[in-house]
Amino acid sequence: MEGLLAWLIITLVKILVILGIVLGIGAYLTLVERKVAAHIQRRPGPMVVGWHGLLQPLADGLKLLTKEDLYPRYGNPFLYNLALVMALVPATLVFAVVPFGPEFEVLGIKVKPILTDVNIGLLLVFALGSMAVFAIALAGWASNSKYALIGSMRKAGIVVSYEVVITFAVMGPIILAGTLSTYDIVQKQIEQKLWYLWLQPMAFVVYMFAMLAETGRVPFDVQEAEAELVTGFTVEYGGMKFGLFPLVEWYIEVLSLSAIAVVLFLGGWSPINIPFLGFIDPLFFLGPLSPFVWFILKVSLLFLFVLWLHWTLPRYRIDQITTTAWKVMLPLTFVNLVLTAVIAPLIWR
Amino acid sequence: MMQWLVFLLFSGLAVLSALGVVLLSSPIYVILCLLSVLVSVAGLFFVAGAELVGALQLLIYAVAVTVFYIFVLTAVPWEKTLKKDSHYRVEGLLSFPLLLALYVEMALVFLLGISVSPKGQFREFIKSFGNTEVVGGILFSKYFLAFELVSLVLLVGMIGAVIIGRKEVQTYEDGSP
Repeated sequence: MEGLLAWLIITLVKILVILGIVLGIGAYLTLVERKVAAHIQRRPGPMVVGWHGLLQPLADGLKLLTKEDLYPRYGNPFLYNLALVMALVPATLVFAVVPFGPEFEVLGIKVKPILTDVNIGLLLVFALGSMAVFAIALAGWASNSKYALIGSMRKAGIVVSYEVVITFAVMGPIILAGTLSTYDIVQKQIEQKLWYLWLQPMAFVVYMFAMLAETGRVPFDVQEAEAELVTGFTVEYGGMKFGLFPLVEWYIEVLSLSAIAVVLFLGGWSPINIPFLGFIDPLFFLGPLSPFVWFILKVSLLFLFVLWLHWTLPRYRIDQITTTAWKVMLPLTFVNLVLTAVIAPLIWR
Repeated sequence: MMQWLVFLLFSGLAVLSALGVVLLSSPIYVILCLLSVLVSVAGLFFVAGAELVGALQLLIYAVAVTVFYIFVLTAVPWEKTLKKDSHYRVEGLLSFPLLLALYVEMALVFLLGISVSPKGQFREFIKSFGNTEVVGGILFSKYFLAFELVSLVLLVGMIGAVIIGRKEVQTYEDGSP
């Protein structure tokens, strides 16, 4: 009984911590994005609210929350609101299988900093990640607007093509680790003294492409192409409802997919790796906190990389995007998969 | 106890949404109900401890298959979804005996399957090897032929789809585009 109670309390705390981190950081990443964009374009960015605009997300949130709640007259109010729920819930659920660090002990109880260490964690990530397409399609359809519908269809087309690509791209690391559990994949990388990035550079590049496409980041943001479609499927949404879609797509999904990329290719919470020799930890003075810091560092590095691309590159056309997915990315992942499947057993088994 | 509660929740949801798939008139609600059925069936798999099958159910049926209904959806204008009657009454009536036969067959197979299914023999395996390994082991040993045949059928289907979906080089005989 006591074990059950402890388990319940630990799980509740984990859920609260993850939700707090995801939603809180998600909101503050808007400021990071605006600052990075501004400095890329040689502007100061938000400076007025708080020191260097530090309180800007709160001001934005207040502004969005106090807007009048409008919805399109001939739209479908039930589906219109359901789309919001279907966007937010799967995106945050992905964090249930993201391991933030190694197992540690508090008051004699062993705690894994991962909500559920299921043995098929990766499959869940991609299943939940692509659930977002329903929210977008619903949002486009329920808004009863041409722009919204075109935007949501573009997004659906992109997600369908890149979902296949991303699933095949992660097969390489899965073969190397021999497991689908996110926690065990990181453990395997530490045991083998090898970040899978060194053996799977092609898979990593393809994964990054697919991640940009799935989250609707530049150069794949045709679904919201401001110049042609106003803002795509969010045209008819107002106030905080409008704010929620970019929050989910651009921040929460990018964060979750970056975290999964770190888990798969960059060795999760392990320090800097020299292939096959070991790990070097310049942050050793942090003691038991160092793995968590490493994990956060790597995720933020990937996030900043995505921001950098977003504010540097122009946008592809939709046909170019899907053609790249099917004719370039997919064959590349096949080649990678076959090579990995042939060579990996020679080395490790 | 807890397991039974969750099982009842998911199975009730699955039955309710399945009724919705049949009874609702608007195509978009039907698709959402279908999605709900598939997700709750995945939930049932998770309750039963078949995590791999549950996750594949989510990944393949709830996402990959249902997404294509979403594509169909955009071809349906908003006013059409209010229509109540179906166009296919005669066809439905004609196909009813076949449908009945199929359902009887499914029920028969299910009942026969219960009597010959291994009772708890795989539990030890799953505990020592994990879900994915057990499914892989069974697929590539006992059911290898069936598995390969199914993949052949899928390959044929894919080739067919490519042939249907390819661009016509020449539409008319005189070569005009």
